[in-house]
Amino acid sequence: MIAYLVRRLLGVAGVLLAICAVTFVIFYLLPADPAAAACGKTCSPERLAEVRRFMGLDQPLWRQFGDYLTGIFAGRELGSGPHAIPCGFPCLGYSYENALPVWDLLMDRLPVSVSLAFGAACLWLVLGLGAGVTAALRKGGLLDRTLMVGAVATASLPVYFTAVMLLYGLVRLTGLLPYPAYVPLTDDPLAWAANLLLPWIALALLYAAMYARQSRSSMIETMAQPYIRTARAKGLPARTVVVKHGLRSAMMPVLTLFGMDLGALLAGAVITESIFGIPGVGRLFFDALQRSDQPVVLGVTLLAAFFIVAANVVIDLLYAVVDPRVRN
Amino acid sequence: MSRRTRMLSASLSTSLALALLGACTAQGGGDRDPDGRQPGVATGTVIGGTPKRGGTLTVLSNQDFAHLDPARNWVMPTMDFGTRLIYRTLTTFRAEPGKKGSEIVPDLATDLGRSSDGGRTWTFTLKPGLVYEDGTPIRARDIKYNVERSFAPDLAGGPDYAQRYLADTEGYAGPLDGKHLDSIRTPDDRTIVFSLRRPVAEFSYTVTLPTFSPVPASREKGVQYDLRPFSSGPYRVESYARGKKLVLVRNTHWDAATDPVRKAYPDRIVVIQGLKGGQIDDRIIESAGVDASAVEWSDLQPSSVAKVLPKPGIRQRLSAERTGCTDMLALNTSRAPFDDPKLRLAMQYAVDKEAQVTANGGPALNDVATAYLPPSLTGGRAAAPVHDGPATGDVKKAEKLLAEAGRAGGFDTTITVSTGDKTRAEALQQSLSRVGIRLRIETVDPSVYYDTIGDTAGAPDMAISGWCPDYPSAATFLPFVFDGRTIKPKGNQGNVSQFRDKAVERRMDEIAAMADATAANKAWTALDREIQRTSPAVPLLWERKPLLVGDNIAGAFGHPSWTGQFDFAAIGLKDPSRSRG
Repeated sequence: MIAYLVRRLLGVAGVLLAICAVTFVIFYLLPADPAAAACGKTCSPERLAEVRRFMGLDQPLWRQFGDYLTGIFAGRELGSGPHAIPCGFPCLGYSYENALPVWDLLMDRLPVSVSLAFGAACLWLVLGLGAGVTAALRKGGLLDRTLMVGAVATASLPVYFTAVMLLYGLVRLTGLLPYPAYVPLTDDPLAWAANLLLPWIALALLYAAMYARQSRSSMIETMAQPYIRTARAKGLPARTVVVKHGLRSAMMPVLTLFGMDLGALLAGAVITESIFGIPGVGRLFFDALQRSDQPVVLGVTLLAAFFIVAANVVIDLLYAVVDPRVRN
Repeated sequence: MSRRTRMLSASLSTSLALALLGACTAQGGGDRDPDGRQPGVATGTVIGGTPKRGGTLTVLSNQDFAHLDPARNWVMPTMDFGTRLIYRTLTTFRAEPGKKGSEIVPDLATDLGRSSDGGRTWTFTLKPGLVYEDGTPIRARDIKYNVERSFAPDLAGGPDYAQRYLADTEGYAGPLDGKHLDSIRTPDDRTIVFSLRRPVAEFSYTVTLPTFSPVPASREKGVQYDLRPFSSGPYRVESYARGKKLVLVRNTHWDAATDPVRKAYPDRIVVIQGLKGGQIDDRIIESAGVDASAVEWSDLQPSSVAKVLPKPGIRQRLSAERTGCTDMLALNTSRAPFDDPKLRLAMQYAVDKEAQVTANGGPALNDVATAYLPPSLTGGRAAAPVHDGPATGDVKKAEKLLAEAGRAGGFDTTITVSTGDKTRAEALQQSLSRVGIRLRIETVDPSVYYDTIGDTAGAPDMAISGWCPDYPSAATFLPFVFDGRTIKPKGNQGNVSQFRDKAVERRMDEIAAMADATAANKAWTALDREIQRTSPAVPLLWERKPLLVGDNIAGAFGHPSWTGQFDFAAIGLKDPSRSRG
């Protein structure tokens, strides 16, 4: 098991390094010039050259990449002499637009995105699995068909549509909820939840529909397995058959899906955060793109990659818990 | 300055046109004030009367500030915010609406500066007893220090007037290396002397820019100064989470007796950032709870205009001051067909400017431009047109000029616009087709628009381009837009027409060297007319900036010097006790 874990973690490091390199090269080749953006409107060529030198953009690509990697593990100083900016471990570069190290910016925004992702995930798991399993157990019935038509309809609505509809219905028309504005959990848990409820619902609706369909088909497949028939035949209560034998193995594919989705969402939901004005990682990414703030774009990309890869590792380990066959 | 302001307005046009057309019909179109056709309160009026001292003013914003560091702050509304609340400058604009707002008064200085050496040397004396937020004195060398900072490559992006005007700055890269400029002298703590490379008549205006505010060397934090500028104004930064929230509280050391301009009514100013534009509009329209004490930072969204204009109660909370920018149709003079002045002249008569007004949001938010220089630079009035005739164009005259140029049947030409301006390009296409000019429209994404039209080799025949003066002096307008020596092969921003005229350039140098600001202004206005005769661009529109306030806001007016953004020196609350809800 330990050897397995070590092997997996080395694999993770390799994947992250590859993503880092590819992203770095892509940005290097892009026509957008962060130095020109920082230099402003009436920038002379001489001044632009100075700004490039200060930002380290005059260095060859391999050198920039080497410095970047060193910074992640050991921290580094950007620039030299009196202009130098300290950027401690783990240095993911420096946002000249925000005058802050990228790592600080990410850590500032991460709690927001984590709040958004976990809240939404709880909602969609309850809604999606509930609907999916219920539909599967009543396969072909009216309830099944109603739920699945509902799921297809919800899944086909883009989040920017549902978000606007929810805003209109729950905020403007009825005033049930406030206009979302992020309040940290530690400040006021109630306000935290009240403000995030709307984005939670918007995100959850989208995912719940997918999960309902996925868990339904998976559940139907499992319930048709011979061992379920055996379980029923030996007289186990229906509840035990469904929950312990059926649901447990039907959840395997759903779990995989969930790991990927949650991982991706942790690094920010760009559209949802923008529509509801939630200052999470997604919104940071969106603003950075618009301002050619490449270090931030690179940082968020890496963070997203990290979460997805990490989620995969966690899911693989969870397999062992859910599926006794993997343990042996 | 042009770019960012234009970027914002470029996205406005299309849907705004539709919204306003609807709104105007609903009003019967007869609601015009003496100033023109303002949709909200008239120019020169203040929304909500005089504020009471105290309370919390909330600013709802869809974005972060570009830079609050005074050496780097060069976006119009942010310059307003910074210089009115956090840092003071040598001189500043009056906190009054309308024409009076364009007048300058001494701020840190005792007067508007004394020039000698024919306008090449400018001396300012600081008022006695000026202090920072920690009670330490503001010294002349601190202003010198901040001007020097604006040369540092790591503090780029700010106004570049110090680099343009100061003498002997070759190769200077800021004070962080311990090097200082000889062209700024501070013989004592209250005197600062600037030596310029040429006479600058309007230097009293130049020092309204945030570059000319004090930063003590002991507070230097390089790029990180941006996060917490040290206060010399009525408020200091309590907290700033970039892209999320900025909280300003009173600077108790600021002394109103030394400051004739800033009223500093609210106790706290909270800027909430990263909100969605349309939701900001809805919140302020509803004006419920704390939102009653809120103003919006960015323009009212096109989709919200129809929710405001038909309702008198909400409409009277709308400010729509002139932006002070001129929107032009730049004609590419570097090659055929528009290298022919006759043909360019024909364009002045062929274009239907009224159609441009309609396509850009209607008469409520636009006036027809009659000159390159906006009214704020020509004594507060629109200049008399050089090319007379109706705003809808003069087809006969255009046809005659085309015939004289040997293009009687019209010709083929192209225009590149950003996606938001497509409706405007189509209106243009229609008006030009009246005289047989066949216009092909190419649209590009707003994010690459300025790079596309700024690439001189591949530039289209025509482009829609705007310019905003940095302060009310034509010296911050005409030389940026029509001086052939400023043309760059890539990233060419001001002189989009690629207009090169030796006589005009010589005249610009002569006027720039004039020591008498009034005479210089007259000369600029005359030069504007002169340039219009060779017609490198067709002046199209003077736009307005629509901003809404909550119903507990008082003292709100769009300031003419900062593209119609609210003057933060004078804004406050009607009933401060309501703001803590």
